[in-house]
Amino acid sequence: MTDHTEMLKQERNTPWRVELRNSVPGKDRIAIERVKMNEVEPLERIKSQTCEVNCGLTPEQALHEARRCMDCVNPTCIEGCPVSINIPKFVKQIEAGKFLDAAATLKEFSALPAVCGRVCPQEKQCELKCFYSEKMNKEPVAIGYLERFAADYERLSGKIQIPKVEERNGIKVAAIGSGPSSLSFAGDMIKLGYEVTVFEALHEIGGVLKYGIPEFRLPNSVVDVELENLKEMGVNFEKNFVVGRTASFDDLKELGYKAFFIGSGAGLPNFMNIPGENLNGVMSSNEYLTRVNLMYANQSDSDTPIMLGKRVAVVGGGNTAMDAVRTSKRLGAERSLIVYRRSREEMPARLEEVKHAEEEGIEFMNLANPVEYMPNAEGRVAKARFQRMKLGEPDASGRRKPVAIEGDIFDIDVDLVIVAIGVSPNPLIPACLPGLKISRWGTIEVNEETMQSSIPEIFAGGDIVRGGATVILAMGDGRKAAASMHRYLQEKQKK
Amino acid sequence: MTSLKTRFFGLELKNPLIIASSSLTADAGKIREFSENGAGAIVLKSVFEEEIINEYNQIAQTKTSAHFEEFLDYFDYKIREQVLASYGQLIRDAKSVSEAPIIASINCVSTGDWLQFASQVQDAGADAIELNLFVMPCDPLKTAEDQRRFYLAAVREVVDRVNIPVTVKISSYFSDLASVCNALAGEKLSGITMFNRFANPDIDIEKEKLVEAQPFSNDSEHLLPLRWVGILSPRLGCPIAASTGIYTGEQVIKMLLAGANAVQMASVFYKKGPAHLTVIIKDLEHWMQKKGYESIEDFRGRLSLTKAADPSMYSRAQYLSSFGGYAGSERK
Repeated sequence: MTDHTEMLKQERNTPWRVELRNSVPGKDRIAIERVKMNEVEPLERIKSQTCEVNCGLTPEQALHEARRCMDCVNPTCIEGCPVSINIPKFVKQIEAGKFLDAAATLKEFSALPAVCGRVCPQEKQCELKCFYSEKMNKEPVAIGYLERFAADYERLSGKIQIPKVEERNGIKVAAIGSGPSSLSFAGDMIKLGYEVTVFEALHEIGGVLKYGIPEFRLPNSVVDVELENLKEMGVNFEKNFVVGRTASFDDLKELGYKAFFIGSGAGLPNFMNIPGENLNGVMSSNEYLTRVNLMYANQSDSDTPIMLGKRVAVVGGGNTAMDAVRTSKRLGAERSLIVYRRSREEMPARLEEVKHAEEEGIEFMNLANPVEYMPNAEGRVAKARFQRMKLGEPDASGRRKPVAIEGDIFDIDVDLVIVAIGVSPNPLIPACLPGLKISRWGTIEVNEETMQSSIPEIFAGGDIVRGGATVILAMGDGRKAAASMHRYLQEKQKK
Repeated sequence: MTSLKTRFFGLELKNPLIIASSSLTADAGKIREFSENGAGAIVLKSVFEEEIINEYNQIAQTKTSAHFEEFLDYFDYKIREQVLASYGQLIRDAKSVSEAPIIASINCVSTGDWLQFASQVQDAGADAIELNLFVMPCDPLKTAEDQRRFYLAAVREVVDRVNIPVTVKISSYFSDLASVCNALAGEKLSGITMFNRFANPDIDIEKEKLVEAQPFSNDSEHLLPLRWVGILSPRLGCPIAASTGIYTGEQVIKMLLAGANAVQMASVFYKKGPAHLTVIIKDLEHWMQKKGYESIEDFRGRLSLTKAADPSMYSRAQYLSSFGGYAGSERK
């Protein structure tokens, strides 16, 4: 039995857990229906880009939902969590009414619990591994809702607990980029006593959490509180600092930085390279969302206003596509359309996001793929030409492959097209480190166990390594990198 | 003065000897050698649609968790972008080192957006496009009509998109080969190359497993294209290039006599190197001089179906007299 498993077992056998477990018979727990998330009405919420759709659970709802958890002997839910949060412990703390303790448990494992409670695809992670999903064919315990509840409760109570940190050891380390992997890395390294500085190229800290995810899904105020916690713990943040331009790695080494974590993400949008993609009015979801979320380009007094389309087509079926299309609706589009080349069943977007989009009047044109965009007399996109698709055999990812139906082509009037088909790593950092091993896709190659790159003092994680993945996976990378950088620096000190 | 000039790929070629698409033509150094040794045209290694599909599948196998669904969703476009960027570079590199026309070769197994990239190949500077079309007809639910529809749709899609000449390289796997060629010739093509030669499976009887057969043609294989060039060259409204199993100047001459406008060769250069091209060109020149021909057109097609003294040889499929003769001679 591993130390971790033993620790979980011991915690499960603490008297308060045993008493709580025995207080409600298992069959009664199973009989409880899963709680429904409270939401703002669609017609109301589409009036504002900053109106959060999900309202969170009330304390009563949280207690009710936490009671469903069976506090399993073998908590498989933890296996589904990339940062290995002690899920039964925090859920049982909620059931016991110890909401602040639950928040503290979450912070032991995650630097961003309020964020993860909102944007993690729990249905594909911890909730998929829940006893209810695996053994009962019932709806799983709403772990994500409970995580959000505990984090929000703490934030709104004003009794924010700052995790304990070790005494400063005077060793300087840097994180490059301020997205989820870097923040997670910074949180763990500061706890271990390092002097941590996070360098961010933009004028806002938070990376994709700020520029990518709209406020109706993840309010900036929620992210800011988590950032404030890190600042309180001692993390130093430098904005408007482009590592490789403002200062080189050598400059930073001269300033005393002993090791680096690169979490600069995947900020380079992918395109389809089809005719007309360079027309005015065709843009990437990166540009569209960054300009709205970070630069407020939708506001009338913006110095660089964004095109507000009336007939908007968003190409793609992921969460970013949903964010973009729902944003367009909020910015006044009469017709907002998702164009996706597979069927709804294959869409990578979270089911909740698809449901919300449908409620908000987003149209879904599945099994269609753009092949060309045509301009009006002013050179702005006016029509999009689509190829009708059908589903073929499954590919290696297990999803059925889209196949063109020969000759089945049709046009639709559009005045704004947003391409949301994925992103690639930002090439700047790899380009200024000649000895750094990178893949042909521009991702940094690392030892998967340690996240250490071909340059020993450089570690990396998140989308710059994976090409594009979830927030929580990036956070897991940050944690793993922190642990191995700590080992690396300790070894180096001994020599 | 003997002229070897001919027309194929919608271009005037200084001679009918075309370096066929192969790994030899994926390298600018080799392309320079072929050009310096007098190639009439050089067809670059094909950019394969299947290669992109296979690469996507390999990546998908390493990223099976739900975390990567969004990443993988359109990743084939990313692979394609990179493949086409490097192909564009190959075209530019080849153009910079070759006096011979550079022909891009696009392989496809489906129609749809893949074929849009023909215009990118054009933008990169290719002098013409060879469409390398082939779907192995092993699906019992697909008819000859399905096959024909695919070929014609793919050709139309590319011809409509580009201004440079387009040719097609086909296989012999058709139940109605002459009819399909006739239909293709009606699609504004600048040539048809017959035939493509494919990787074949073989069996290792010791290990009892399937292996790849050796990749090179042998010189008896030229008789298949010889027959069809002879039959079709006078009947199609577009030029024909012969390909597969052509190793010598003598075989080149046979193809021209049967009616080919040009020939494509690859295997011989794997075995003898790019400099061997000059030997073949000289053999052709010497033969023409010996025969008193001043240009290719003086003798091209002299032994095609409509001009040969005994055209029934082309349509005869049985060995009646030949086997009889051999059997008789053995008995003596």
